[in-house]
Amino acid sequence: MNALLLLNSLEGFFFGSGKAHVVTGVALIILAGIAVSLWRMDRRLSQLEKESRSDKS
Amino acid sequence: MKGRWNWFWKGGSVLLLTYVVVRGFCTPLQPGLVSATPSQLSVAPQVVDLVAVGQPFATSEDLPASFDVVLRSGDQLIRTDVVAITPHSVRIQIDVPPTMPSRALDAYLFTPASGTLFLGNACFVEDAAKGDVPPEFSASAPDPQEPDLGFSFPYQPNIMESIRNLLWHVPMWFAMFFIMGLGFVASLAQLRTDSISWDMRAEAAVKTGLVFGLLGLATGSLWARWTWGAWWVSDPQLNGALVTVLLYSGYLVLRSAMGDDDRVGRLAAVYNVFAFVMLVILLMVLPRYTESLHPGKDGNPGFNSYDLDNSLRAVFYPAVIGWGALCYWMYTLRLRMNRCAHHLLSR
Repeated sequence: MNALLLLNSLEGFFFGSGKAHVVTGVALIILAGIAVSLWRMDRRLSQLEKESRSDKS
Repeated sequence: MKGRWNWFWKGGSVLLLTYVVVRGFCTPLQPGLVSATPSQLSVAPQVVDLVAVGQPFATSEDLPASFDVVLRSGDQLIRTDVVAITPHSVRIQIDVPPTMPSRALDAYLFTPASGTLFLGNACFVEDAAKGDVPPEFSASAPDPQEPDLGFSFPYQPNIMESIRNLLWHVPMWFAMFFIMGLGFVASLAQLRTDSISWDMRAEAAVKTGLVFGLLGLATGSLWARWTWGAWWVSDPQLNGALVTVLLYSGYLVLRSAMGDDDRVGRLAAVYNVFAFVMLVILLMVLPRYTESLHPGKDGNPGFNSYDLDNSLRAVFYPAVIGWGALCYWMYTLRLRMNRCAHHLLSR
């Protein structure tokens, strides 16, 4: 365990405080994933708005 | 009425997830021993530090005298003296006996407030001979004390704090299963009625489910790296999950390849029914017939077989319901968006 802490900083970071940072990493992945999915829907909606505006005119 | 119900479940999912995040991060982990330094001992008096993680097993007012550490060799116990304690470590003085049944020693730490902490194979004595522990070195087991830990998550060796991932990683798969099930029903209805409305529901469900499936894979991979030591291990549960996600990606490929063909709805529905059956087989049936590192093979995956104690259940069930509701919310948004797009394009 102590030897692993010294391997490299990323390794040490995720092993630190009893692997609590792995949970932070997992939570961030999920938030990022949902944000990307929302962003893609946002882009599609903007496209649709543009199409509906050009239809009216 | 409908508006009020919408407020209820959408607001409810946000409230539940807020509760899950706060409780999931703020609940302390029960203390557990993680290492002994030095772990290589020789036959002589020496000092060893035992280090723990989780909530402190001692306060600054506690006295070393109220703590007890014994080492176990085979079925015999070796006496130690507790010299000093800190909230997360205990220093012991040990007179290593020249003979013992096994050179590998397990450590037991008896604490007044946190019960008994155990570390298997804590130390190894290189030069001890095989035999009984001489009486002057041996100890009798102290009386176990009732731990008073309050609301806390269980300590698991190796998993440690990352047990909290149960509240993030596992609900992703529950949400995916729920929304893919919805897509399956929609596809069956589509095959019966051949209506575009059901087809749009199935498509929205698969797209939303894929987001959660990909998140399940990514979070699982990160968790695996720091518990099993690799980003991916060849394991029936993991490979099954990957094949499921790939199968559903095939659904999207099929849709975009067909383009504006009139038969796209029916074909996609047939594919979706097949994909859901494969999901059940790959995620629920096959992993139970094979060996796996992954928990959740016995009984009902996710509900029985994690070492779920009541404190974890009190957060895990709200997490499953909250993520399920959020997933459904994302599905309805996508469905409404697709309906608008359909109206716009068919004008």
